Amino acid sequence: MKIILLGMNHQSAPVEVRELLAVEDPGPLLRKLVDSEDIEEAAIFSTCNRVEVLVLTRAPESARHRLGVFFNRDLVRQDHRVEFDFEEVTYEYHDSEAVSHVLRVASSLDSMVVGEPQILGQTKEAYRAAVESGSCGPILGRLFQHAFATAKRVKTETRIAERPVSVARVAVDLAKQIFERFDEKRALLIGAGEMGETALRTLRKHGLESIRIANRTPERAAALAAQFGATAHGLDELETLLAEADVVITSIGGDDPILTLDLAKRAMRDRRKRPLFVIDIGVPRNADPAIDAIDNLYRYDLDDLGAVANENAEHRAHEAERGMAIVVEEQQRFDGWFAALRAVPTIRHLRERAEAIRLRELEKTLGRIALAEDQQAAVDALTKAIVNKILHAPVSRLKREAEREEGMAYLQTARVLFELDDELDRE
Amino acid sequence: MTVQILQWTAAVYLAAGLVAGLGLGLETRRIERASVALLAFGAVLHAISFGLLHMTENPPPVTSLLEAWSFMAWIGTVFFLILLRRARLQRLVVLVAPAAFLGAFLGALVPSSGPVVEADKGSWPHAHVLLSSAGLALLGFAALVGVIFLFEHRRLKAKRPPDRRFPFPSLEALDRVNAVSLTVGFLLLTLGVITGMIWLQSTKGRPWTGTAHEVWSLVAWLIYAALEYARFAAKQSSRQAAISAIAGFAFLLFAVVGLELIL
Repeated sequence: MKIILLGMNHQSAPVEVRELLAVEDPGPLLRKLVDSEDIEEAAIFSTCNRVEVLVLTRAPESARHRLGVFFNRDLVRQDHRVEFDFEEVTYEYHDSEAVSHVLRVASSLDSMVVGEPQILGQTKEAYRAAVESGSCGPILGRLFQHAFATAKRVKTETRIAERPVSVARVAVDLAKQIFERFDEKRALLIGAGEMGETALRTLRKHGLESIRIANRTPERAAALAAQFGATAHGLDELETLLAEADVVITSIGGDDPILTLDLAKRAMRDRRKRPLFVIDIGVPRNADPAIDAIDNLYRYDLDDLGAVANENAEHRAHEAERGMAIVVEEQQRFDGWFAALRAVPTIRHLRERAEAIRLRELEKTLGRIALAEDQQAAVDALTKAIVNKILHAPVSRLKREAEREEGMAYLQTARVLFELDDELDRE
Repeated sequence: MTVQILQWTAAVYLAAGLVAGLGLGLETRRIERASVALLAFGAVLHAISFGLLHMTENPPPVTSLLEAWSFMAWIGTVFFLILLRRARLQRLVVLVAPAAFLGAFLGALVPSSGPVVEADKGSWPHAHVLLSSAGLALLGFAALVGVIFLFEHRRLKAKRPPDRRFPFPSLEALDRVNAVSLTVGFLLLTLGVITGMIWLQSTKGRPWTGTAHEVWSLVAWLIYAALEYARFAAKQSSRQAAISAIAGFAFLLFAVVGLELIL
């Protein structure tokens, strides 16, 4: 039995290729996969950064072929005009490598933003879809459970997700170092661009709800304000707005800074020196760096935020290495369990053979001598006990040895010594 | 007995500080909470020691400088524990517990309360010493919070990332704690000055005798009154308020404690 994983992700394929693959409902696709003779179990991961198909097979060669066809025909949209080399944009992993990959994905070590928390939920979703469609059997089921446990270990034993790495999250993190709570604070967005919108959305997710938007063209501000339940203003009201805001995000075009030292000083006076956090994500900068001189005003521009984000990303990369050590450990544990499954047929044959001999000999003996019913039962129990005692040591040893690659020799020897293959031939 | 309890108190405070350090190192919430529980237990023991002292000889529990330290440490700890319910300051246990330990430890060095001077008997000196010590403790706490505020303020201005192993409360929380300690501390200090004057009136027949202690204390009180005004009426910035709290306390410490050591 072999585990095969075929997939493409943000590292192997550019976005224009990735967007050709869209799995809306994995159910029918999974059923189609396991309906074929070569594939025993199957699961599909599909997120915006990856599409991967994981299968368990007894016939690796034909399963590989089948997977390739499945990827090209059932997953890739057929009406596209993008040229790509299938082999180049996909990767294929077998057994240990596939297991390791699944553990890495679930633990968010293979994500575009390492440590991002959504991937575990998406992995659980893939598992649920596979269970519901009946394509997830005991082995992939076990692999998924193992992946969830590994992800939990990575999360609790490393600090991988501790520090924010996106500019917007870094800004929120900084705001939390200045303000204790957001619910009574006011945000002011200057400019109605996309960057500012993202930052505003993140702040709002963390509880900052009172929002004002100021823009050169008030119409655009009004359109954005409608989305956020905010109020829209023109730039002429800036001084009053600044005096009332606690967090200011500036992201507006123009060569000269809009938030000048003079304006900031006047606004700070009006606001009676309550702290003000200025997040300047405009390029070129919208806030004059000279305003740093004002007490209680904390200004961070894109470079400052980027520097914090980079440092945090380095920290995450360092933590990811620790996460990888956990993945290797867990992968070996799963491999041991998976390899031990190889011993199952041999052990079953061995037990069946011993039982057949016992029954045959028992029948012979009981046919020759007349015994009372309880005496017959006693002899039956005695022979069973003898067989079990004799088989106990070799069976335990086989189970143990099968977890190692070298253990195959033991399985082979057992088959020869007990003539298990001959038995099969005779059957 | 009192000294033994005080020794136990010091040991518990020390343990709270060590556990808090461990909690920061391991970043475990459970250990952090344990350090708070230990600190609270220490404060209870500390209170029992004052109660016992009061019951046995009926002097004010503070008759010497070392005992005053111990009392201030207790007030500071209790105030901190009360604030804990309002702001996320658990991580400050690592600073507060060692300070409390020092106070209780110094208090335990005194074998027993010294001989009580006849003039020191009665409830006015009792009230004066207790209120002033409590005021001093809270103003000291305000200064400590001011130091942390300045540290964090400078870090944010310099755009340096925080030390994740030691995340302080937000600037807003620190500022608020500073304001509350300053207000309550000043109120207690004022009551301390008033009761001191009444005590003088009852023993010397007039509220002012012009000793160095009286002069310097009054100057310190005036300085704090000015600081309170600057902070709450003239709306100082948080940074200026933090600096004021530190400078004010330095002067107060000199006026009340330092002077006693010199003279």
